Amino acid sequence: MQTATVVNAPAGAALAPADPGGSAAAASRRANLLLLRRLALPVLAAALVLAVWEVGTRWAQVPEVLLPPPSAVVDRLVNAFPLLMKHAWPTIWQSLAGFAIATVLGISLATLLSASTIIRETLYPNVVFFQLIPKIALAPLFVVWFGLGPEARLSFSVFVSFFPVVIATLAGLDNVERDLLRLCRALTASNWQTFVSVRLPHAMPYIFSGMKIASTFAIIGVIVGEFITSRAGLGYLILFASAQAETALILAAISVLCVFGLAFYGVVALCERWTIERFGDRPR
Amino acid sequence: MNVTAEPRAPAGEDPAAAWRHPAPVAADRDAAYLSLRHARKVYQTRTGDVEAVGMANLDIAAGEFVSILGPSGCGKSTLLSMVGGLETVTEGEIWIEGAQVTGPRRDFGYIFQDPTLLPWKSVLDNVLFPIRTQKRPVADYEAEAHRLLERVGLGEFKAKRPRELSGGMRQRVALCRGLINDPRLMLMDEPFSALDAISRDDMNLALVRLWDSYHKTALFVTHSIREAVFLADRVLVMTARPSRIVADLRLPFARPRDVTVQDTPEFNRICAWLRDQIQAGYGRAAPGTGG
Ligand SMILES: Nc1ncnc2c1ncn2[C@@H]1O[C@H](COP(=O)(O)OP(=O)(O)O)[C@@H](O)[C@H]1O
Ligand SMILES: [Mg+2]
Repeated sequence: MQTATVVNAPAGAALAPADPGGSAAAASRRANLLLLRRLALPVLAAALVLAVWEVGTRWAQVPEVLLPPPSAVVDRLVNAFPLLMKHAWPTIWQSLAGFAIATVLGISLATLLSASTIIRETLYPNVVFFQLIPKIALAPLFVVWFGLGPEARLSFSVFVSFFPVVIATLAGLDNVERDLLRLCRALTASNWQTFVSVRLPHAMPYIFSGMKIASTFAIIGVIVGEFITSRAGLGYLILFASAQAETALILAAISVLCVFGLAFYGVVALCERWTIERFGDRPR
Repeated sequence: MNVTAEPRAPAGEDPAAAWRHPAPVAADRDAAYLSLRHARKVYQTRTGDVEAVGMANLDIAAGEFVSILGPSGCGKSTLLSMVGGLETVTEGEIWIEGAQVTGPRRDFGYIFQDPTLLPWKSVLDNVLFPIRTQKRPVADYEAEAHRLLERVGLGEFKAKRPRELSGGMRQRVALCRGLINDPRLMLMDEPFSALDAISRDDMNLALVRLWDSYHKTALFVTHSIREAVFLADRVLVMTARPSRIVADLRLPFARPRDVTVQDTPEFNRICAWLRDQIQAGYGRAAPGTGG
């Protein structure tokens, strides 16, 4: 009978998602497996490289000055730990401060550029131009201008990490749906209200993606500054160790730098994820 | 667009004669709620001037729900934007309650084709967005926001974010947002065009139900004849550019309006007549473009 099939079909269909607890558990197991795989594979690859490095340098009896095995680096890391921390501190605070200042300045300049057409037409081509020149080449100038103290490294770090924030923020402030701006106009919103309630929230994920780039640039800025002039900091320590042919210490210092860089980037990347979750228009 | 007193006189019997709207009276500006006087809009583009609206003359009474039917690109959106103060008038004047329109006003409500909700705000906060923007006391409008959302069937979704809603639900939020500040004039530019047929019927019904109690003046642009007739008290038909109004009908359907009105022979006769008018408008425009 026809009605019977019609009635049966939805019933049959309704059977499929039965036992929701079981399928939810299966889904979470699948997610865990996926996460494990995404974590395990790269870790495994890195471990493999380290193992080959360890075995290779020992087997070929590569001189430690040329390339010490990872175990020697770890040894150095442990027994030079107080020294490494002493030098890590100035690098860390200067990177963080440079990053923070660059973020504030970058967002401010982008706001200015997006607020006024005339300012934008005047400044934006210059911003792009500065973005294009190899900024590292300008590092010695900062020493000339700011002397040998931390100011030179801090200001250079700001200079290097500032541009990605400006450009990303400006893209975010500009990329607002035209209809939303029309709505604001229709509601008689002031420019400031439009900025605060629409443009800025919309720009949040963009700002954080710019900050993510800035976080790595800020560290590069400080290290380059330390290479040029400094008596403290991981950059200085690396240069010093290389003069002493202490390759294991160089690699130990770089390891500390990596851990800091990763943690820094990771925190900003987490913030970015959160802003996308909070301000984006689709769930991740 | 030319709204002239000259009616299109179809040869033979005219089933719409009984409903035809009286010609606008030129000196009636103060009596009408909204008046367009020779309003004209010319866009200057790189490829030359585009006359989007040419010499619109129109009077709309307070509380009238007016549908505007017409092909794409005939200047409907431009007309609406000029009335709403979002576009300047190149020539002519637009008057509302005896005052000339110079820009957007706080007592207008707008609904666009896209819901244009703020993705980072909840449904309720989106509805209250005009209140916050216009610095009105939010507490005075919260109850109304809840009531509106309940009435369009979104009572359960007030705390949700727009991305968790379907297209039809989002447009309902936009509808509530357009009504929250109790506007005197609602401007709706193809608000349901992007929706699927079922959601669209749903929205039409929701709008008609709202209008059972809200007696607001409304301009509603649409491509759908049935939608135009079902919703409105009065229907204007525009032709392609250079556009003019070829029909101005007052509809005989009472409010509160029943869904079943769509099944009456009268409703279908009006729709058929309007379709003829639109096709006649195309026919009129064809020689100019086809050569
Ligand atoms: N901002 C603009 N600049 C230039 N031309 C425009 C602009 N807006 C609309 N037009 C032109 O004006 C005409 C009418 O457009 P519009 O009012 O959007 O028509 P409709 O809403 O009836 O589809 C079209 O030919 C369109 O290309
Ligand atoms: Mg349009």
